[in-house]
Amino acid sequence: MADVLTETVQPEDLKRFEKIYHEQLYRNDVTPKAQFEYGWCLVRSKYSADIKKGIILLEELYRTHEEGQRDYLYYLAIGNARLKEYSKALSYVRSFLSIEPGNQQVINLHQTIKKKMEKEGLVGMAMAGGVVLAVGAIVGFGMAIASKVKS
Amino acid sequence: MDEDILTTLKLLIIGESGVGKSSLLLRFTEDNFDPEQTLTIGVDFKTKRLSIDDNTVKLAIWDTAGQERFRSLTPSYYRDAQGAVLVFDVSSYSTFAKLEKWLLELDTYSTKSNIVKMIVGNKIDVDNREVSREEAMKFARRHQTLYIEASAKTKDGVQCAFEELVHKIIQTPLWESYADNGLQIGNKDHPAESSCGYCTLS
Repeated sequence: MADVLTETVQPEDLKRFEKIYHEQLYRNDVTPKAQFEYGWCLVRSKYSADIKKGIILLEELYRTHEEGQRDYLYYLAIGNARLKEYSKALSYVRSFLSIEPGNQQVINLHQTIKKKMEKEGLVGMAMAGGVVLAVGAIVGFGMAIASKVKS
Repeated sequence: MDEDILTTLKLLIIGESGVGKSSLLLRFTEDNFDPEQTLTIGVDFKTKRLSIDDNTVKLAIWDTAGQERFRSLTPSYYRDAQGAVLVFDVSSYSTFAKLEKWLLELDTYSTKSNIVKMIVGNKIDVDNREVSREEAMKFARRHQTLYIEASAKTKDGVQCAFEELVHKIIQTPLWESYADNGLQIGNKDHPAESSCGYCTLS
């Protein structure tokens, strides 16, 4: 089931806000609103290239537009978590919580990221185990051939 | 582990900023209340298992930000929702007056024609009430939605609001729309005069 880290943007939404952003970019007059809306769509994309682009837009907003900083931090954490850049994601979560320690939404996000990391940690170990087995099989196979050639 | 779960239902919570959407959800999911509840960013998400009529359903609840700055993107979360909770603050008439607009937005963006709607008048614990129960019930009846009064702070009506909504969703046949089915008024197993005092379709 989808949660804040797995739900994805509708392609038509992404297109719609991309168009608004690009029109403003063409006029050299991008509003924080348009940039945020486009960035919000991008970090929820299925494609990591989109997410990366969204992160760049949100990072820029974070530096230049003080009013929406908490929103940008939140979606920067989500974007990075979706890219599996967990240490970055957690550092955004931590800087958010240093300003608003009791924020339930961000505390939940923190837990969701942690859970995802744990889950992937196990998957990673299982995969490493598989690789060892495969390497062992190749070595064994090679040795079998070598012994055949010798004899 | 999930064998006993009948189904997962998608619910959403909408309404003006500051009416208590996230507080209702926090009370419902964690039986907690934060007097310093902060403004929701974009959309938040919580799950909750609910046992109803001998079945367990899993609720996936999307809690939308009420602030204007998020309005252009929140409707995309309405997709496929089976139930919607529309919240207003009984001590603020303007939040009640805006319900009309929220209902319209729901009709525009929700993809399910038979989405079940529940209006919740929150903050009944406060003294300076601006919207009467009668007026809110009349409005709910006119728009064919359920109505419950609640207080996330004192717990009143919160559990009941979600249970009623889920009950109604389960009752709603998937293969028929309300229009074909006629409007079912609180059936015999579940009389309209329940302890919650909700208002069914009429």
